[in-house]
Amino acid sequence: MSNAYIDQFPAEAKVIRAAFYSSFFALALGGVFGIIQTLHRTGYYRFIDSADYYTVLTAHGVFLVISFTIFFLVGIFTWAITTSLDRGVEDLRFTWGWYGLMAVGITLTGVAILAGFTDATDISASVLFTFYAPLQAHPLFYLGLVLFVVGTWFAGVDWFRSWWAWKAENPDERIPLPAFMVLTTMLMWYIATLGVAAAILLFLLPWSLGLIESVNPLLTRTLFWFFGHPVVYFWLMPAYMMWYVLLPKISGGKLFSDPLARVVFVLFLILSVPTGIHHQYLDPGIAEGFKFIAMTNTMFLLLPSLLTAFTVVASMEHGARQRGGEGYLGWLKALPWRDPVFAGMALAGLMFAAAGFSGMINAGMNINYLVHNTFWVVGHFHLTVGTAVALTFMAVTYWFLPQVTGKQLWSRSVALGQVVLWFVGMTFMSNAMHRGGLLGIPRRTAEPQYDGFEFEAAVGSVAELDAQIALGGVLLTLSLVLFFANVVGTALNGRSDDLPDNSYAGTLSGPEDAPQILDNLKLWTAIAVVLVIFAYTFPLLSIIDRGGLFGPELVELPLSTLDLESISALALAVEQSTIATLETTADTATAVIAGVIP
Amino acid sequence: MRISKGGLLVVLALLAPLLVELRTVLAWVNVELSVLESAAIGLILVVAIFVWAFWPDNGNDGPTSDSSPR
Amino acid sequence: MSHATDESTQIQDPDQPTDSDQVREIGHDEFDPVGALALIGLYFLILVFLWFFMYFVEFLGNDPTVVSGIVSVVTGGVGLA
Repeated sequence: MSNAYIDQFPAEAKVIRAAFYSSFFALALGGVFGIIQTLHRTGYYRFIDSADYYTVLTAHGVFLVISFTIFFLVGIFTWAITTSLDRGVEDLRFTWGWYGLMAVGITLTGVAILAGFTDATDISASVLFTFYAPLQAHPLFYLGLVLFVVGTWFAGVDWFRSWWAWKAENPDERIPLPAFMVLTTMLMWYIATLGVAAAILLFLLPWSLGLIESVNPLLTRTLFWFFGHPVVYFWLMPAYMMWYVLLPKISGGKLFSDPLARVVFVLFLILSVPTGIHHQYLDPGIAEGFKFIAMTNTMFLLLPSLLTAFTVVASMEHGARQRGGEGYLGWLKALPWRDPVFAGMALAGLMFAAAGFSGMINAGMNINYLVHNTFWVVGHFHLTVGTAVALTFMAVTYWFLPQVTGKQLWSRSVALGQVVLWFVGMTFMSNAMHRGGLLGIPRRTAEPQYDGFEFEAAVGSVAELDAQIALGGVLLTLSLVLFFANVVGTALNGRSDDLPDNSYAGTLSGPEDAPQILDNLKLWTAIAVVLVIFAYTFPLLSIIDRGGLFGPELVELPLSTLDLESISALALAVEQSTIATLETTADTATAVIAGVIP
Repeated sequence: MRISKGGLLVVLALLAPLLVELRTVLAWVNVELSVLESAAIGLILVVAIFVWAFWPDNGNDGPTSDSSPR
Repeated sequence: MSHATDESTQIQDPDQPTDSDQVREIGHDEFDPVGALALIGLYFLILVFLWFFMYFVEFLGNDPTVVSGIVSVVTGGVGLA
């Protein structure tokens, strides 16, 4: 008799399995649309109408970054809470309830998107993942998203209930690390989703239903990015959790530092939300000063990511040295590269390191102007969510599937081939996307070629870049096929009694070394809320002031003139000081460079 | 064999990003490679890694034996 | 649960299958993550290098940009690019 997760928590294992299979279904759909789009854009094989490209793009985006990632997240988080608190969920009907709500919600949204392919109904939702107004979707699309997000809220309630019940029984104990990660991530999510909830419920859904005439596009955009940046951490946090609590164990060692891990998650709770405006550096109508504040907050976010890089690598190194690794870099050879779970996560981490650099480019206000809305950005997020997150999820699937199904993995060799193939495919595709972006090739474009104009490549040619993208896309699709073969093959296997135990990594420096204040979730939430208020109150008020709550024609918010004047004055002051700083910097740079260049 | 099969696979995979950007780096020092030439260099490197990996490691099996397959 | 004791008392769990290749036990005080330092240091150097490199690719490689002070340099730097 083994001691796998399914043996400890058979009922919860069923929920997690359902969440995983929902997630994989979305991955399959999203993958199909991905390859269609790759071949269409690069001009290798165009069998859909270019007007339908946006429907494909919407489906690719929504299915992958909403359903694939978040369904997987709820599976992992349920595992983390039950395993680390060592107790089942409080009420299984409630757990199935939120899963059901999420499933119904995403089905409605998915139907609204896919209906765009047929003329039989007038339902469509080709508004892309960002659903910027004035692009308008059928009400079903927004309604489904609302239900899905509310489902995740209830999931959070479920996990908080488990924690409260556990705390009542263990009043003096530290929150176990995985549970701590779940709780901080969910707090961040509650704050973040307020933005999208407001955008949809107050503006986009009533507008789509015809209840209001118009919306203020900049307002709904800003509210979207209020949610849109933290959502990327919502995808990333489960991957981080896996790097912290599973990767050290798989490497044969222990987590280097529990306190550092807690600090990282606290920093993400605090800093994730007040950064969204960095997606809007090119939006007119938001003062430079506000953008500068968002940039500063964003740069602070590099801190938890670099902390993670060090802690995770040090934990891997601990494993490698326990396995006999030696030297400054020689220990890398002692890592279990044959294990697909390890190899997948390590390669995902490596890609994430590269993405860190392109992310810094995106985050810098002045440099961002050069890559904004180009193919570069697409290359960037295929490294982050498309590899750091997706490849980690696929790799840990090879550990989780036996745990929640009670069956042996169908083939470890195929699994290893799959993760390596993903890495190679993404190398080709993402690299060429970055390079294309530098040449100015736009994103979100069905046919990025123009009469009388050619993009000039510094090295090679655009045709070569297209070939790399298509090759990468094909390799990625192949990798997905191998992944699903393994999932299906495992599901068809018989029940096994010889499974690894359900456990996670121990720690070298444990929670007893972490200051007690790290577990004070109320404090961190309060700080996070204050930072959000600082970062968003003035931008939102000034957007409403300029463009009206429901668009320019309608009556504006009843704000006193005094308020508005002080806001504009403040905005102007910040704007001017920023410009002054930039000018000085530019002057200095000019002087330096003039000195360097003969 | 000096490296595990899994390790060899990963090393070959890591070669991909290096090869893809090798042309850009060389163009910086005014060495222009065609796609075919890049592919040829890739092939040579792959063969070199294979030869290294399968070369019997007589003499220094101290540190390398740790990473050989079970 | 195996990890509960693992965490509080820092005893290695003998049942963990991935530990079968373990040849020695390294505790908190003996472990000196020089390898992690080397790797992260290398990454940091690459970042710094790329940051400088970025200037040439993104500014000198393109036409005049929104940052006004740079324009004069672009014309002066064409020979270099």
